[in-house]
Amino acid sequence: MALKEFTKGFVKENPVFVMALGLCPTLAVTSSVNNAVGMGLAATFVLMCSNLLVSLVKDVIPSKIRIPSFIVIIASFVTIVDLSMSAFLPALHKSLGLFIPLIVVNCIILGRAEAFASKNNPLNSVLDGLGMGLGFTMALMIIASIREILGAGQFFGMQVLPTSYRPMLVAILAPGAFIVMGLLMGLMNIAKNKKK
Amino acid sequence: MKYYLRMGLTLLLIAVIAGGILAVVNDYTAPIIKQTKLQTEVQARREVLPSATFFVKDSIAVAKAKTKRNPLKIVQDTSSDTSFFIYYKGFSADSTLAGYCYIASLYGYSSNVKTMVGVTPEMTINKIKVISQQETPGLGANCEKAEFQAGFNTLDAAALHVDKDGGAVKSITGATITSRAITNSIRAGLEILNKQASGSAAPETQKEV
Repeated sequence: MALKEFTKGFVKENPVFVMALGLCPTLAVTSSVNNAVGMGLAATFVLMCSNLLVSLVKDVIPSKIRIPSFIVIIASFVTIVDLSMSAFLPALHKSLGLFIPLIVVNCIILGRAEAFASKNNPLNSVLDGLGMGLGFTMALMIIASIREILGAGQFFGMQVLPTSYRPMLVAILAPGAFIVMGLLMGLMNIAKNKKK
Repeated sequence: MKYYLRMGLTLLLIAVIAGGILAVVNDYTAPIIKQTKLQTEVQARREVLPSATFFVKDSIAVAKAKTKRNPLKIVQDTSSDTSFFIYYKGFSADSTLAGYCYIASLYGYSSNVKTMVGVTPEMTINKIKVISQQETPGLGANCEKAEFQAGFNTLDAAALHVDKDGGAVKSITGATITSRAITNSIRAGLEILNKQASGSAAPETQKEV
């Protein structure tokens, strides 16, 4: 039962491809796999911590002020991530830039706090946060791999295609993010319909 | 009434706890962040002027900048009508002048592009290094590539224009705006240094690192 809360985030309820949540960071940071992994893991950490805390305090907080309370909790964790990343991983912090503070308004995190953690016990909430976070990371990595390989001929910053390959610039620009994500969502739906 | 009081107090409690935790984290990380920032700057100076072993901070008084998009690291003096252009003199081990370096920065296509510039005593570019930029990946972001930056070596102020403006800098394909921002910001600094070298006024110096 508990395991199901963890695994649903990968395919069945994948935050990006199925629920279409958190698309702004998805589009913005997937121009390289490096950024995608950094963003995904930072969001996973925040998601797990906030889910745990929200499910612990859910009975104390009056329902009318639950949203502002959740936002304060989430924002605190994001600030912790932001500060420690800029202290210990300055290079990654520089390339993710503005998108770290923006995790606060990432709707996956508030969405899971509201829809799941505020109704479930701490263990399930942590598992849900971890699963959703890793599902988010996985989705970012898939999109970023396609974009980086097509758009720069690189993977994780290493040259994988021969240098004679002329990079498909559109893949690494913003429109490429929309196109790749749309195609992947479509593929997911085709696969799902076939199963039925 | 009691219900509203409880809501307010709960929010207050959450905010106080969150504030306390963040204060501790900030206290712990702030010196580390400052240290890394300083280190990257020192490292960049070493990189653009490898023949220098120590650097001395210096400044030149310039007319107050009129535009907000100031291409140089300039400290404004609010009490008078002057502002100061900050640069570093590099000296080799036996205290002979090895060159100058400064940070040039100008808004490019989508971000401030900051460049560390190393200048020889003969007022030609020794080497440059883009130290921070958020330009379009695949286009403007290519300014971090070595091929582009190497194109600045040995140029003097007169040659510091992008090729479209009749200069010697080969601009990045599809990113003329970024190339131009970098080139123009570097030239502005070099021109101030040039003027200073031909003049005689000895600026106050203050030792650092």
